[in-house]
Amino acid sequence: MLLVHSRDSGCALLCKLWIALVLVFIYLPVLCGAVSSLSKSRYFIFPLKAYSWTWWERTFNSLEIHTLVCNSLLIAIVVTVISTLIAFGGALAFARYSWRGKRLYQKIILLPIFFPQPVLGLALLLWFNTLGLELSWATAAFAHLVWITPVVTLVIAIQVYGFDPTLEVAARDLGASPWQIFREITLPLLWPGIWSGMLFAFLLSWGNFPLSLYTTGVDNTIPKWLFSKMSAGYTPMVPALGTMSTIAMAAIMIVGGLLVKLHHRHQGRA
Amino acid sequence: MLGHKKSVSAKDHGAVKGEPILTLSDVCRSFEGRDVIKKINLTIKRGEFFTLVGPSGSGKTTILKMLAGMDSPSSGDIVYDNQSISSIPPKARPTCMVFQFLALFPHMTVGQNIEFPLKIKGVPAEERYDRACQLMSMVQLPEDYYAKNVMKCSGGERQRVAIARAFAYDPQILLFDEPLSAIDAKLRKTLQKELKALHEKSGKTFIYITHSLEEAMFMSDRVGVLNHGVLEQVGTPNEIYAHPNSRFTASFIGDTNIFPVRVRPEGGWESSELPLSVVLKVKQLDRNIEGYIIVRPERLRFLTDGALADNAIPAKIVAIYSLGSSLQYELIAGKKELSLQLSSAHAPDYKVGDAVTVGWDADDAIFVLN
Repeated sequence: MLLVHSRDSGCALLCKLWIALVLVFIYLPVLCGAVSSLSKSRYFIFPLKAYSWTWWERTFNSLEIHTLVCNSLLIAIVVTVISTLIAFGGALAFARYSWRGKRLYQKIILLPIFFPQPVLGLALLLWFNTLGLELSWATAAFAHLVWITPVVTLVIAIQVYGFDPTLEVAARDLGASPWQIFREITLPLLWPGIWSGMLFAFLLSWGNFPLSLYTTGVDNTIPKWLFSKMSAGYTPMVPALGTMSTIAMAAIMIVGGLLVKLHHRHQGRA
Repeated sequence: MLGHKKSVSAKDHGAVKGEPILTLSDVCRSFEGRDVIKKINLTIKRGEFFTLVGPSGSGKTTILKMLAGMDSPSSGDIVYDNQSISSIPPKARPTCMVFQFLALFPHMTVGQNIEFPLKIKGVPAEERYDRACQLMSMVQLPEDYYAKNVMKCSGGERQRVAIARAFAYDPQILLFDEPLSAIDAKLRKTLQKELKALHEKSGKTFIYITHSLEEAMFMSDRVGVLNHGVLEQVGTPNEIYAHPNSRFTASFIGDTNIFPVRVRPEGGWESSELPLSVVLKVKQLDRNIEGYIIVRPERLRFLTDGALADNAIPAKIVAIYSLGSSLQYELIAGKKELSLQLSSAHAPDYKVGDAVTVGWDADDAIFVLN
């Protein structure tokens, strides 16, 4: 018994060690980036000789960075709203109802995911040129939509598949109109799926580089700027902005999680 | 809410219990050319507990859906209070359904579920709360369940929530789609008793469907037996049990002994499933020359120590089962399997393999044509 016990705890220790190693492997580079943004010197040298918030302050006050953040935010918000609307309708259509051409639709809508993003970006760039459209945040948002909408559709569809249509029949039997059924039953029950779809859309758009590379034109985004500064003209503003962006996205995830928890408590599920 | 309640109770006042509330005339339903419901004629009386019973695929759910407005008849008419409701949507009907899997709204508390139909009608929150509390006490749910999420309730509690929610809609007719089928046997009995008590207390008309004739007989005022879309028999539970009009109805409850019989040229009756030397005595009113006789297991008895019966056949005991208060003997007579049931208190000292004589009186058998 003692032997088994010690073997078990030995195994548990090994497991913990392994998990710790994996975490270190994943997060050490991110952490190094964060630490290097606190360097006083202009160059990326380890170990750091002196720490300072100078680069954070400069990043925070830079007009160029403000524009970048505004562009990225604008694109991400537009993409989130539009892709969620399209994906919600699409997910309902292919998970709930049966109609002619449904299987074809399912395949066509997933196709852009399998297309390599740089190629998709280039193809869209050529297309915009052909149509004579000037590149801007709007063309970038369109490019993002092409790739992100299928992902969001999948995320929401998973929730729709788990939805019991009898609930809508019951609500109708209890006197509810189609709009009341949608507001009181369908939407609240699909809300977790819509919410995660929105988060996905926002994060994927915010961090997207290959599509933005070809389609933003003069409206630079954060990933694009980070890449160009790393290729030429490195400044510690790169890791500073990267770290800020990571912290902001983590904050969005945490707030999102808290909202879901609050929502459940409101329904008495907590 | 008060005004609303008044109008309904005024309507109730004018209505006489026992008068027809719902009539199905020549109702048919076919799906893709296949007739699922064949010319159903049925009248439901106000305030009665009516159960439609039939095996799966007999069409009972289809009938219930047509009553609820989730489906409509291919031909024929459904009349409520002298008014055709065949093509009226569910929300305008005087019916409300308790679903097989209850269809409780999982994102709502017990209270919100019960209040749902009231919220839809635009009843103010305070009145909704009062009504929900009344309904919860009616179905014996503790008041502190009001804020509990339905998904955290047990099977029996959810059942009560579903019933309370249907009552909140204040329908004239409650429809039940086998809501007790997923509940374990012991709790099911309790809920059956409660449902029957609730029916008597509320005075509403209940239409219930189930595949179990036992369940139907236990609760209902009248039972309709459905087979392949045809209403085989309608009657009180006693009528159905004592005077089944077909083999189907007779065999639908428990084990039963059925013999095909015909008149012998030399007089008397014989059965193709018994040795032809056995001459049977059969009681029937019309001059039929063939049909079936049904002998319930408790009517079949051992003929020991020279006991006599109108009909006697030699048999062998194949198995003995204890049902608690009674014993069930499985016998074989020639190739015919028989089942005999008697009270444990009067059990004879027989073992498996014993050769015995069993019999029944002509009065104890039921004659049916098909």
